[in-house]
Amino acid sequence: MLGPDLAWYLAVAAFLFCTGALGVLLRRNPLIVLLSLEIMLNGANLALIGYSRHLANGDGQIFALAVMAIAASEVVVGLGLVVALNRRQAPLDVDRLDTLRG
Amino acid sequence: MIAGAWICLLSPLAAAVLITLGGTRTSRHTAAYLSTLSCFVAFAGAIASFVGLLGEEPSQRHHLSTAWIWIQGGSYRSGLSVLVDPLSVMMMLIVSGVGALIIAYSIGYMDGDDEERRYFAYMSLFVFSMLLLVQGGNLILLLAGWGMVGLSSYLLIGFWHHRPAAIAAAKKAFVMNAIGDATMALAFFLVIQKTGTLSFSALGQLHGGWVVNLVALGLLGGAVAKSAQLPLQTWLPDAMEGPTPVSALIHAATMVTAGVYLIVRTHAAFELAPTVQDVAAGIGGATLLLAGLVALVQTDIKRVIAYSTMSQIGYMFVGVGVGAYGSGMFHLMTHAFFKALLFMSAGIVIHALAAEQDIRKMGGLRRLMPRTFWAFLIGALALAGIFPFAGFFSKDPIIAAAVAKGGGLGYVLAAAGLIGAFLTGLYIFRLLILVFLGEPSPFVREHFHALERNLVGVSMSVTVAVLAVLSVVGGWIQWTPYYDPVDKWLAPVAPPLVTPTHWQEWVFTALSLALALVGIGTAWLVYGAHRIAVPKLPFVQRTLEHKFWFDELYDVAFARPVAALAVWLRDRFEQPLVSGVGKVGDDTREVGGLFARLQTGLLRTYALAIASSVAILAIVFVAVR
Repeated sequence: MLGPDLAWYLAVAAFLFCTGALGVLLRRNPLIVLLSLEIMLNGANLALIGYSRHLANGDGQIFALAVMAIAASEVVVGLGLVVALNRRQAPLDVDRLDTLRG
Repeated sequence: MIAGAWICLLSPLAAAVLITLGGTRTSRHTAAYLSTLSCFVAFAGAIASFVGLLGEEPSQRHHLSTAWIWIQGGSYRSGLSVLVDPLSVMMMLIVSGVGALIIAYSIGYMDGDDEERRYFAYMSLFVFSMLLLVQGGNLILLLAGWGMVGLSSYLLIGFWHHRPAAIAAAKKAFVMNAIGDATMALAFFLVIQKTGTLSFSALGQLHGGWVVNLVALGLLGGAVAKSAQLPLQTWLPDAMEGPTPVSALIHAATMVTAGVYLIVRTHAAFELAPTVQDVAAGIGGATLLLAGLVALVQTDIKRVIAYSTMSQIGYMFVGVGVGAYGSGMFHLMTHAFFKALLFMSAGIVIHALAAEQDIRKMGGLRRLMPRTFWAFLIGALALAGIFPFAGFFSKDPIIAAAVAKGGGLGYVLAAAGLIGAFLTGLYIFRLLILVFLGEPSPFVREHFHALERNLVGVSMSVTVAVLAVLSVVGGWIQWTPYYDPVDKWLAPVAPPLVTPTHWQEWVFTALSLALALVGIGTAWLVYGAHRIAVPKLPFVQRTLEHKFWFDELYDVAFARPVAALAVWLRDRFEQPLVSGVGKVGDDTREVGGLFARLQTGLLRTYALAIASSVAILAIVFVAVR
């Protein structure tokens, strides 16, 4: 088998996932939060594809394709929300968008 | 003949429905004319039935026309049917004829009232209900009409719904009548249970002493409530809160006469229970005396006439109670004429004095409104039973019949009737003298305005004139010593139990006429010539002014205990229960508030919660494996 070992792929995937998760947790700008979400998804994708290759099974790649499609639609909704917020002159800060506080 | 009866029944209903559906699209006068016309059509239908019956043999005069089977269950069935027989036709003629005149009178009396259309719709409904009551071909239709009469009277007594007194009076009438409706319904249940049917003939098939006594008592309860006899009489004077034509309709054509009709219609049950029939006569005798006494001290023009109605219905109860059905029904008819006349003349007086009804403020109206005075005088003479006015021919045979019945009760009733004749002359001429004779009072001079020669004046004066004529000649159709077409007419339905002899008729006619004249003379001496002062008897006067404390008694005996019970139940049960339920709601809300704090609204705390949960799950997953 060519290329690095599976462990390397998984390490990079975990690194990407954690980077994204930290971005989601720490950043307050909704745009950056969305971006971080994409990074998390791509980390997951990388793990799927890595396993797919390791096991010589196409299922993981098909999963990855599905995740991409869903990520694209999610971004559409997310960006739409950001644009709507901007139009209403709302602050682009997820901590100040707390209308649903109980 | 049958068609005439159906037209008679349905035409007032059609008017009521049309006026209601027409709403504001019909003008006020259209509603009035429609209502009047429908009643005259009903009268024409009644005449057609009458003429049809006249052409038949007396024994053949009984026709039951069924439109369809109305109620059916098991072996029981009741049709929607009208009965055409001498009794129902006589009532149809009175109800539709006098009713039509009264409604025609209200065209003028109610002119300019805010809700004329509603008024005329109710009036038509009232006449329809009464016609259903008298034409219904079985007991259940009679009960339906009975209830609807109660409903219509409730609607009309409370017609001026912005007056609290009118609403209270309407409720009182309804509740008092409901008592009678209930006893009647119970009696009918017994009849169904024993005979399996509610046709009129079922009443004659009742066997067993206590059953027939209970049935007769139930029927008597209904009759007493509807006809405002003791002890359910208190609603009638209060019902004067309604417009005057309504009072006239209730007293003359519909409603209070229903009790007399009921006893004649169900005489079979009463004859099987002679004790109850005696009770009916006794109630009539007591009521006629009591109402006559109370009428002496009333100060409201309409209330005096209302008490005189109670008193006269008392005569009718005496009549039908001793079995003189023809005399009772004949008095019902003449009473319809002169009582409507008295009410409508009083209505003209009230109309002319800016709605004032207190006779102490009136006086001297004879010079200002001579024609009304004459009409009222005719009505008063007819009521007092002075020859040759209508009451003379119908009241005295009742007293004679009581004597002919004999026994202690018969003589007591006859004595009550004679005293009643004196009281009648006294109270009605007291009213007449205070209102019409003497000098015009300051109030009259200030507020009097005569009827004008327009639609209002014409509709009111013409109808009063017609009734004045009827109050004179209406009695001439029967003079029992010489000719008795009314008795003969009713004999196939309700053959009389007693026939007074000639000397009884003559002696008691003379006595009653003399006593009535003495009453009138006394009224003149006391109130007209002021020769005799009104005796000062504070206790008696207060008793009479409080109507023998019946209202107070019922208040203490029924109204207050029920109100106290309601308050007790509210404090002990309702409020603890309701506040308990409220506490559950408060607690739920509090717990919800605790959980609501979890919803911070901060996106990042949710994300952290998800991330940490996943992390914990992952660690647990690894550790457990």
